[in-house]
Amino acid sequence: MSPLGTAIRVEFCKTRKSYTIQTITVLVVLGIAILAGSLLAAARRGNEQILAQLGPLADETGWNQLTGISCQITAAGALLAFGVALAWLFGREFADATVSGLFAIPISRPTIAIAKLCVYYCWVVLVAIALGAVTSMVGLFFQLGPINSGVVHSLVRQTILVLLTGLVATPAGWAATLGRGLLPGIAVTVGLLVVAQVTAIASSSVAAWIPLSTPALWALQPVSVTAWQLGLVTSIPIVFTSFIVVSWRKLELD
Amino acid sequence: MIGLNGAGKTTLMRAMLGMLHLTSGSVHIGGVPLNNTAQKAWKDVGHLIERPFAYPELDVRTNLKLAAQLNMVEPVCVPKTVDAAMIEFGLSTYAEVAARKLSLGNKQRLGLAAALQHHPKLIILDEPTSGLDPAGVIMLREVLLHRLDDGVGVLVSSHHLDEVARIANRISVINYGRYIGSLEPDAPDLERAFFDLVLADDEQRF
Repeated sequence: MSPLGTAIRVEFCKTRKSYTIQTITVLVVLGIAILAGSLLAAARRGNEQILAQLGPLADETGWNQLTGISCQITAAGALLAFGVALAWLFGREFADATVSGLFAIPISRPTIAIAKLCVYYCWVVLVAIALGAVTSMVGLFFQLGPINSGVVHSLVRQTILVLLTGLVATPAGWAATLGRGLLPGIAVTVGLLVVAQVTAIASSSVAAWIPLSTPALWALQPVSVTAWQLGLVTSIPIVFTSFIVVSWRKLELD
Repeated sequence: MIGLNGAGKTTLMRAMLGMLHLTSGSVHIGGVPLNNTAQKAWKDVGHLIERPFAYPELDVRTNLKLAAQLNMVEPVCVPKTVDAAMIEFGLSTYAEVAARKLSLGNKQRLGLAAALQHHPKLIILDEPTSGLDPAGVIMLREVLLHRLDDGVGVLVSSHHLDEVARIANRISVINYGRYIGSLEPDAPDLERAFFDLVLADDEQRF
């Protein structure tokens, strides 16, 4: 097996058996679905405080309202969760002092870093699919109507939002590497969240050009984001994956 | 390699293993400069620097499996390699125990097993008896002596003269980051000889 294949196997094993990743998975998939379902129930009962918090989504009904609420929660909640996961994936090697064992072995550190990201992105895909599936179950539970092509479209948009949010969190892995621990990665995640939320609230036309904010804006107001602007989101994982690989290559234990 | 606390033993070992970027000098492994060493050549090196390579939430067997995989042990040989290491280092009864639940000594045994199970040709161990009970110290000594008999190069750092004298062919003394001389392992009153060397070096520098 190639060094990358071996490294992916190792990272997959570590990730699969990690309580941190298991907990985050449950929090993202079930947490977001339960919260979205609870807000939907409150909105349907006419809870004015909740309706005020939902903003334009208060005027929506049925599946549109559920997927809209879910997207709103996902934009902030999933970014935080994915950032913490990445901070853990990279920062734990320093926190657990296992990083010295990743030197002077037949698999290079950049290969290990790439393997970590491969496993992370695969996990994000699984989380995205699971959240879409659970959200559809919530909708069926509330008897929002049949799952027609429009509903499928909304659920797919939510799934893509989760995927894009996973990509946007990539800088957390670099911060955890540079800061040699979990906290720098978590701190950067909070920073990303603040920037994404503030720009989205301040101006949607500006937010559309900021890759951090684009996924959430696109999920909630698809017409306000062009394909080019959405494509720009991929610049974040491309740039920060490069930074992570270079940092792991140059890493030293001084 | 022996020296007082802070003499530079760990720093030197880190430099040998590419964990530090050198500001001067060079490191050669098997005659090849460190920067030109092929990645796969590290398969022939086993090391334990400071803390054992053990993920706390994973059990002993899984930790050893991952270490074997990272050292590119053939996939079909991994289970056999892990089982042999657990027997050799007295870890069989802890096979399914998470590393975080192990005592300090057993965690050190796990780290040593992870470093040595793939039978490297060069072994670099920093304070390997740290945390080990007397039985563990004897076990490690036996393992290293067997490896030496097989022609393996072993570099061990320590500040315990007795321990070093029992396994070493050569004892290099490090002081203030420099090699200052060597001692004969079978020399009488090794402790006195060591302190004479260190004292002479200190007087020369100040």
